[in-house]
Order: sequence, then structure tokens, then C-alpha cells
Amino acid sequence: MKKLFKTALAATLSLALAISLAACTSGGRTEQPASPAASSTDSSNAAPDTSINANGFAADATIGVSLPWLGTQNWQEASDMFKNQLETAGFKAIIQAADNKVPQQQSQIESMIENGAKVIVVGPIDGSQLGTVLEKAKDAGIAVIGYDRLLENTTGVDGVVQFGSIETGRLQGQALLDGLAKVKGAGPYNIELFGGGPADPNAPNFFKGAMEILQPKIDDGALTVVSGQTDFTQCATLDWDNAKAQSRMDSILSGFYSDKEIHGVLSPNDGIARAIITASENAGQQIPVVSGLDAENESVEWVWSGRQYSTVAKPTDVLVAKTIEIIKSLQGGNGMPATDVKANNGKIDVNIYELPPVVVTKDNAKEIFANDPARMELLK
Amino acid sequence: MRAIKKVLGGDLKQYAMIVVLCSLIIIFNIASGGKMVTPSNFQNLLSGNAYVLILAIGMLMVIVVGHIDLAVGSVAGFVGMIVAISARDFNLPWGAAVLIGLAAGVIIGAWQGFFLAKLGIPGFITTLGGMMIFRGAVIWISKSISVPAPPELKFFGAGYLPEWGPAWTGLNNSTLLLGIIAFAAFIWMEGNGSRRKAKLTGQRGEVWPSAIKIMLIGAVIGYATYLFGSGRPGTSFPVPGLILVILIIVYHTITERTPFGRHIYAVGGNKGAAALSGVNVKKVYFLTMLNMSLLAALAGIMFIGRSTAAGPSDGTSWEMDAISAVFIGGAAVSGGIGTVRATMIGGLVMAVLNNGLMLLGVGADRTQVIKGLVLLAAVAFDVYNKTQGKSSIISRLFQKKETAAETK
Repeated sequence: MKKLFKTALAATLSLALAISLAACTSGGRTEQPASPAASSTDSSNAAPDTSINANGFAADATIGVSLPWLGTQNWQEASDMFKNQLETAGFKAIIQAADNKVPQQQSQIESMIENGAKVIVVGPIDGSQLGTVLEKAKDAGIAVIGYDRLLENTTGVDGVVQFGSIETGRLQGQALLDGLAKVKGAGPYNIELFGGGPADPNAPNFFKGAMEILQPKIDDGALTVVSGQTDFTQCATLDWDNAKAQSRMDSILSGFYSDKEIHGVLSPNDGIARAIITASENAGQQIPVVSGLDAENESVEWVWSGRQYSTVAKPTDVLVAKTIEIIKSLQGGNGMPATDVKANNGKIDVNIYELPPVVVTKDNAKEIFANDPARMELLK
Repeated sequence: MRAIKKVLGGDLKQYAMIVVLCSLIIIFNIASGGKMVTPSNFQNLLSGNAYVLILAIGMLMVIVVGHIDLAVGSVAGFVGMIVAISARDFNLPWGAAVLIGLAAGVIIGAWQGFFLAKLGIPGFITTLGGMMIFRGAVIWISKSISVPAPPELKFFGAGYLPEWGPAWTGLNNSTLLLGIIAFAAFIWMEGNGSRRKAKLTGQRGEVWPSAIKIMLIGAVIGYATYLFGSGRPGTSFPVPGLILVILIIVYHTITERTPFGRHIYAVGGNKGAAALSGVNVKKVYFLTMLNMSLLAALAGIMFIGRSTAAGPSDGTSWEMDAISAVFIGGAAVSGGIGTVRATMIGGLVMAVLNNGLMLLGVGADRTQVIKGLVLLAAVAFDVYNKTQGKSSIISRLFQKKETAAETK
């Protein structure tokens, strides 16, 4: 034991010494990014020393794209599109997905910094847990663009490209109301509410947008939420996990709907929408009117065949195209494009590049997917 | 050959994984065009993996004692969330929040230890329960929404030691000082060791093996100091790395040099025999579990420092990373065998693989497959050697040369 204490003491003392020495003296190396002397001590460091607003960067520079995972269709599509379009534009692309693990994504972004990326596009797993690594990217003069989700709690973000998430929610709520009137006859209607993954900053906004439309109808009695669960935290689906949504729907149906009919369900995305529809069928209910999001292949078929009333398309190609437009503007030395929309991420006001989503129902599916041969294939 | 043995110590097998680690680093460095061995990448490597390696230290002791802890990830996530919430909602200073977090770790450890030691429920089941309880609890108390961590914690999770003193060293002087301390401590220990040996055997050992060893280690420490110290100004040997090194020294000493440490191996090797020779088995179980949760708490706090926020899914599957580090380090599933040093090498092998594959742009899918194969290969190699009763490939290689030289 004595030996142990001695070692521990020595180790702790050395730490204390290092820190206290530092506290009472100052000096050491100082940061001089512009001078060649500093960059010579820095020669092994791949980080570039130009700031993003300077004269742009080489047309064949490396661009990093860090995505949360490839478990849903929209991310897989984003991954393929980024690879094709960045390489077509002449950039070197590093596209990585982090398997929905935050530490993995942190390390991936660090490795992109090591690889000398000039721009890093980040579709975060949890928008608030990348603070340290994004600030590291900023210190290295790298532009950070949030993709599809807001990057919170950090100063290291230059802009976020996303679909207006409150607007998306409003569209979902409106589509649910329209569908109920069209499919289920006259009201009042019994509905249930589902929210997305709480770690995704968009999820509460979808819910908020939808409730702006639905709440007045709930208040005047046109809609009844039979389970009484109307708070986002009650309705949220951890990690956007379809299985969790399905079991919540199962228990709501067996608990509250044994003698009632369910008419409609607000669903934040397509996977959860299908889980809800399956649960309703299993419980012997008529299929309710369900909203959705992402226009996944499976759901496009379901919309076409009438099982799922609607989905909202956030065309991934539009999102990717906008992101690449920003990257090209940075490459040409024109900085981040101007935008009117800003959102506070807890530390700074971030430029938001909002894109409009579109509702897809059986009636307009053919028009909307006219330029999308893969999805047109499904509408037969 | 005999000379090599004298320098490295008798058992060459323990160096097999070090050889693997070094070759991985060299291979990745060549394949990535020199992006592996850079100051910033090594700083990332330590900052980004310190939490897993800290968990692995505790996990090693749990596995040696003959159990396993599946709850560490959930406990780390839970404690991280407690710290973040108590700092945000109760306006506590960060130091107090950290103390509350560590206290929660101790209480959770006592809870797990109680079921394992007093009620005799196997560790696998106790901690499977714990895994669910604390995963549920973290989602519960956070309402599944991430909570920002006190900014001061960033120093512990991803911070650097300060710059001070003269600039002509060209290095971060804190790192330089650490290097000098490490080298001095090593010389002191080496001197102590040979004095003790001389006392035991009654004769003075040869001086030259010690001298060569000191030169070798000196070169390694010197290079590491240069590598970590020569990064961008403002960076140094990372603080989480320093915390890890201190823990390694402390736990190496506990497991190898204290009665409690010997008891862990005794209980893990043969519980009955240990009990008969007067070891308090229950106490050993209890303290091992307590210690594990305390380390998990520390890992969770460091992680939220690095992430700048505590999230509801923090810690998911960390236990698996820690367990693989322990087994790659050569610990036995049945207990009784394994060392802190080898576990750290095992953890670093995984970390370097992960980091190197990322630098090469390999996706998470294939990385996962490769890590799984490496785990299997490492353990199969170990088991094969044990059942064959032979020494490792490396020492066998040397063996041949040695006998060849002798027959000449």
C-alpha cells in the first residue's frame, strides 16, 4: 500500500507541478499562423493555414462528408450523390458514415481534418455533441456546413443547409387534416401523435409545426387524442427507431382503442408511418390516415396503393445540390452565400439555407417524381 | 538472442501485441501518406480513446476476478447526464457537479457490488440488469434530449496543457517537462529494480542490459515527447491522455504490487483456494465492482467534456469496446489472467485500427468487420499458444536462431 501511495503521489504531484508552473509563468510558443516560422514547426500538420474567407482553395481540394449512418434510404442516397457530384465537380471526396455512434463521428471528423479537408459537411447524429471537434476544424481554417440538421452548442459552424423543419411539420399536420376529411368522412376524428428522435434538433420542430395546425382543431373538439399523450417527450421515438414506434402504437391501440376506431396518426417520417400502419392492421383496425416524411421507396409504393395517405418529400438531390453550390462558392473565394434566415444554436447565430419541402399524395405523386426515374418505376 | 532477452526480460510473448501495434502504426502511416504519425493525429488518438481505455482498466480487474460488467456504458452515460443536469438545472459549479457524478459512480458501484458479493448473483446478470436500469434512467432524467455540459469540463475531455517558459525549445514545455519526468522516473525505477535484484541474489547484475534498456526507453519517451509536443502551438500531450497515464500507473501498481491486487488474481484463478488461504472473496468482489463503476463515472465525465453535451444515447456499446480491449490484451475469459499494461496495448490496437481505417476513408461498416476479425485472431492466437504449450511465434523465431547459433 505504501508503495502505491508513493506512486500515486508522484504522479499527481507531477501533474500539479506542470499546471502550477504554467499558472505563474507565461510565454512558450505563440500562435502565428501567418508567419513561415510557425508553419515550419507545423510542417507535419496537415491543417491548412488559410481562413475560409481568403482566396478560396484549390479546385481539386479534399471535401469531407460525415453522415450519421446509412440505415435509412435518405442517408444512403445522400452518400451516393455527394460522392458522384463532388467527384464530378473535380473535388476529392471523403464520405463516411458513423453507424449512429457519436464517438465514431467525432473521430471521423478529426480524421477529415487530418486529411486536409477544406470543407467538412456534417449530418450530425446528435447536433449538440460535436462541439470540440468542430471548433478544432474551425481553428484549422476549415469551413463546416451542417447538413439536414442544426449543429448546436458550438462556434465551429459556418452554415446549415436544411429543409424548413417547422414548415415540414406544418405540411405534415395539414396533410393529416386533408386526408381525414377526404378518407374518413365527417368528424370528429380520433387521432394519435408521434414525434421523431429527440436527439435530432429537427424532431421537436416537426412536432411543433404540426401542432400549430392540429392544436386549434384539438381545442375545438374536431380532433380527439384518445391516449391524451400530446407532449413531444411523450410522443418522441428514441433514435427514430421504427420498432420503438411500433411497440408504442401497439400498446396505445390495445390500451385505448379496444372499443374505438382510430382515424388518423401524425407520423414524423416514413419508417415510423409504416410501423404505425402495420400495428393498426395487426390490431384489426381500418388503416388510419398517416402522414410521413422522406418519400422512401417503400412508402412511395404505399402511398400509390393507398395504404399510407401522404408523405413529405425532402428531395435529397436538392439538399445535396445546395450544399455543393455553397462548397463551390467557398472554393471560388466568395465565402458563404448570403441568407436571411438565422438560427441561434446556443452559442452563435448560424446562417440557415432553408429549402421548401413538398407533400406527396396519390394524386400528385406522378408530377412530383417526374424527374426521378427510380421512383417513377414504383408508381405502376 | 540471449542479449535481447536480458534487455527485455525473460518473457518475450508479452511483446507480441506491441509488435502488432507498432506494425499497424507503420503500415497505416505508409498507406495514408504520412497522416498517421503526426502530432495532431496522435493527440486525437489519445483524446478520442482515453474514455474506452479508462473503462478497460476497470474491466480488466472485473474480468480477472472472473466476472464481466455489461453496465459500464450505461453507467458512464448516466453519470455524464447527472453532471450536465446538476450543473445546468441546479446551477452548481462544475467542480461540485463532477463530485456529485463521481459519488453517483461510487453508489452505483456499491449497488452492483451488493448484488454480486452479498447476494451472490453472477456479475453477468447483475450488470445486465444494471445496463437496462441506467440506460433507462439516463433517458428518463434527460427526457431524451441532450444537455450542454459545463464548458470547463472540456479541459479534462479534450484539453491541452499550457504553454509556458522559453520558446526556443520549439516544443510545448509542459509536454517536455512530462517527458523529462517520465524518463527520470524510469531511470529511478530501473535502478531500484537492479538494486533489489542484487540484494536478493547477493551479486551485482551486469550493468549493460540496464544501460541498453534505458537508452531504448529513453529514445521512445524522447520521440513521444517530440511527437506530442511539436503540434500546433497551444496543443500538447492531451489532458485526457495524462489522466489515463496516471490511472495506468496507479492501477498497474495496485494490481501488481499490493495485497489487494494479488487477491484479485487469486480469487479469479481459484476462488476456493483463495478463500481457504484467508482471502475475503466477497470484499474483493465488492471493491472490484465499486472501482469499475467509479472509473465508468470518470470516463462518462471526460466524454461529455469532449462532446460539450451529454446525450441520451451516450455510452451505448462502450462496454463492448472495453471488453474487446481486455481480451485482445490476452486476459482469460475464465479469470485469473491479464495485466493492465497488456490491456492498454489491446485497447490501443483497436484504437489505431479504427483511426487508421478512418484516415484511409474506410466506412464504419467495413471497419466493424475488420475489428471483429482482429479480436478473433488475437484471442485465437493466444488460445492456440496455450493449448500447444509453446511460446509465441516471435520467441519461437528467435529460439531457432539461438539454437542455430549455438550448434555452430
